[in-house]
Amino acid sequence: MTGVAAEHYRLLVIEDEVDIRRAVSAALRDQHPAIIEASTGTAGIDAVDTSHPDLIILDLGLPDIDGLAVCTSIRAATAAPIIVLTARHGESDTVALLNAGADDYITKPFSTQELAARVSVQLRRSRTPRSHYGVIMADGLSIDLHRRQASRDSGLIRLTPIEWDLLAVLVSDPGRVFTHQQLFAAVWKRSFGDARLYLRVHITNLRRKIERNPADPRLIITEPGVGYRFILTP
Amino acid sequence: MTPKTVKYVDWALWLSLLVLSTLVMRVARPNIGEAHAAFVYILIVLGATAGGERWLGILVAVLGFLAINYFFQPPFDSLTVDQPLDYLALVSFLSTALVANHLLARARAEAETARKHAEEIEALSAEVRHAEALREASRLKDILLASVSHDLRTPLTAIRALAQDIAADGSRARGHAEIIVGQADRLGKMVADVLDLSRLKGGAFTMNAEVNTAEDLLGATIRQFSGVPEAKRIETVIDYSQPALLGTFDFVQSLRVMTNLVDNALRCSRDAPVTITVAQSNGALSFQVADRGPGIPVSERERIFESFYRPNGPAADAGAAGLGLSIARQLAEAQGGSVRYADRVGGGSLFTFEIPSAKLDSLT
Repeated sequence: MTGVAAEHYRLLVIEDEVDIRRAVSAALRDQHPAIIEASTGTAGIDAVDTSHPDLIILDLGLPDIDGLAVCTSIRAATAAPIIVLTARHGESDTVALLNAGADDYITKPFSTQELAARVSVQLRRSRTPRSHYGVIMADGLSIDLHRRQASRDSGLIRLTPIEWDLLAVLVSDPGRVFTHQQLFAAVWKRSFGDARLYLRVHITNLRRKIERNPADPRLIITEPGVGYRFILTP
Repeated sequence: MTPKTVKYVDWALWLSLLVLSTLVMRVARPNIGEAHAAFVYILIVLGATAGGERWLGILVAVLGFLAINYFFQPPFDSLTVDQPLDYLALVSFLSTALVANHLLARARAEAETARKHAEEIEALSAEVRHAEALREASRLKDILLASVSHDLRTPLTAIRALAQDIAADGSRARGHAEIIVGQADRLGKMVADVLDLSRLKGGAFTMNAEVNTAEDLLGATIRQFSGVPEAKRIETVIDYSQPALLGTFDFVQSLRVMTNLVDNALRCSRDAPVTITVAQSNGALSFQVADRGPGIPVSERERIFESFYRPNGPAADAGAAGLGLSIARQLAEAQGGSVRYADRVGGGSLFTFEIPSAKLDSLT
C-alpha cells in the first residue's frame, strides 16, 4: 500500500490506553496519515457515524461498553473491516467478536510490522470484489471456482464435496479469519451438531491434498482456538 | 433427632419393653418358672445398657428384680419371699444384671474415648498437612520471588538503559531499538509464563478439550517458529498413508506444550535437526520431540520439570527462565496427558507429549 491511493484510507483506533493508542497510530501513520482516535466504546461508535472510517481497530477491553456490543453496533453501521486487539490467544471473547462480524484479530503484545501487515491485508480485502466464479492462484495451486476444480502443476486434485465446499468458503474471502462456527454453518448449513467435530478432520484431509507440506501448511492457516484462514501469498 | 430426644426415646422404648414382657409372662405364668423370667429381664438389661446408657440399665435391673420377686416368686403378687434360697436367686439376678451393665457401659465409654482420640489425631494430622502445604507454598513463593526479581529485572535494566541512551543521543537509536524489542519480548514471555504458572497452581485454568487432529497441532506448532532462522532445523515424521490421527485435547494449551518442547529442543541442540514424530498407540496420541543436545544427567531428570529449575554448572542459555518444561508438564496433566523425558538413542533428549487419542466413526 504505497503512493496516493493509501492516503484515501481513514483509520479509526478505539483503545482506552493512551500509550497503546499512540503506539498503534505511530505504527500506521507512515502509510495511513488519516487516523482518528477514540478512547471509549461510545466515542468509537460515534466516530464511525461521523467519520466513516475505512478500517477500525477495536480493543477488546474497553471501560464503558462490552467489546461485543461495540462490534455489533459498528457492524450494523458499516461494512469496513474490524481488527480486534486481544490480550490472549483463543480467548472466547475474541471468537464471539469474530462471529459477530469482526474480520481479524491480533494478540497483545504485537509487533508493529505485523499490525501494519494485517491492516494492509484487510484494506485490500475490503476493496477487492468477492468472486465466487473466478480462478484463484496461490502457491502454485490453481482453484477454478466456476468449474469446481483444483489443480497443482497441471495435475487435477480430487476433492470430496465437503472438502470442496470448505475450500470454496475459505478462498471466497482470502485473509479473513473464519471461526469454526462460521465454517460449519457455511458448509453444513447449520450451526450445531456432531458433524462439527469432523470440521478439523476435513481441514486436515484437505491440507494433505492441496498443501506442499501438510505438516507445515502455508495456504490454510490455523488460528489456534479460533478457526482457519486462507492465505493467497504465503 | 437431637441427642436428648434420642435419650428419651431409648428410655421409653426399653421401659415399655420391660412392661410388655412382664405382662406377657404374667399371662403365661402357669407355664414358666422364675428362671425363665430372670433370663428375659437379663436380656432387657443388656439391651438397655448397650443401646441406651448405664443408668437406664441399672433402673431396668432394679425393676426386673422387683418384678421377679412380685410376680414370679411364690407367694405370687407379693414382695415377700417363701424360701431363703429364693433370696439367693434374686440377689444373683441383681448382681449378674449390674455386673453385665457395668462391663457393657465401660466398653461403650472406652469405645467412645477411642473414637474421640481418633478424631483428635485426624484433626492434628490435617493441621500438619496444612502446615506442610503452607511451608511448600512459602518455599515456592521464595524461589519465585528470587527468580522473578532476577529474571524480570535483567531485561528491564537493559530496556531502561538503552532507551535512556537513545533519549540522550538519537544516533544509536536503531541498534538499541533492536535490542529493546528482543528484551521486551523476553520480558513478555516471562510475564506470560509466570501468570500461567500461578493460574495452574491456583487451579484457575479451564481446559477446552475437543476432538482435534494431530497434524493440525503439528502445523500450528511449526508456524509458531516461522520467521525464526532455527525453524529450518525442524523435521517432521508422520505417516500420510494412514487416516489423520485424532486426539481429545485443548488446542491452544497443547500448542503451548508443543511450542515449549520444540523451543527447548532448538536451544539445546546447536545445529542438529530437531525431529517431531507423531504416533498413536494404546489409546494415546504421542508427539515425540527429539534433539541431539547434550541430554540430561540421570540425577536431573525429574528436576527439569520443576518450576525455575536451572541446570547445574554454567547456564546453557541466559534467556531461559526455567519455566517452559514445568508449564508444559502441568498443562499436559491438566488435560489428562503427560510429558516425559527419555534418553535418545545415539545421544540427545527425547521428550514425549502424550494425550488421550480420539476416534470418530465415519466422516459425514
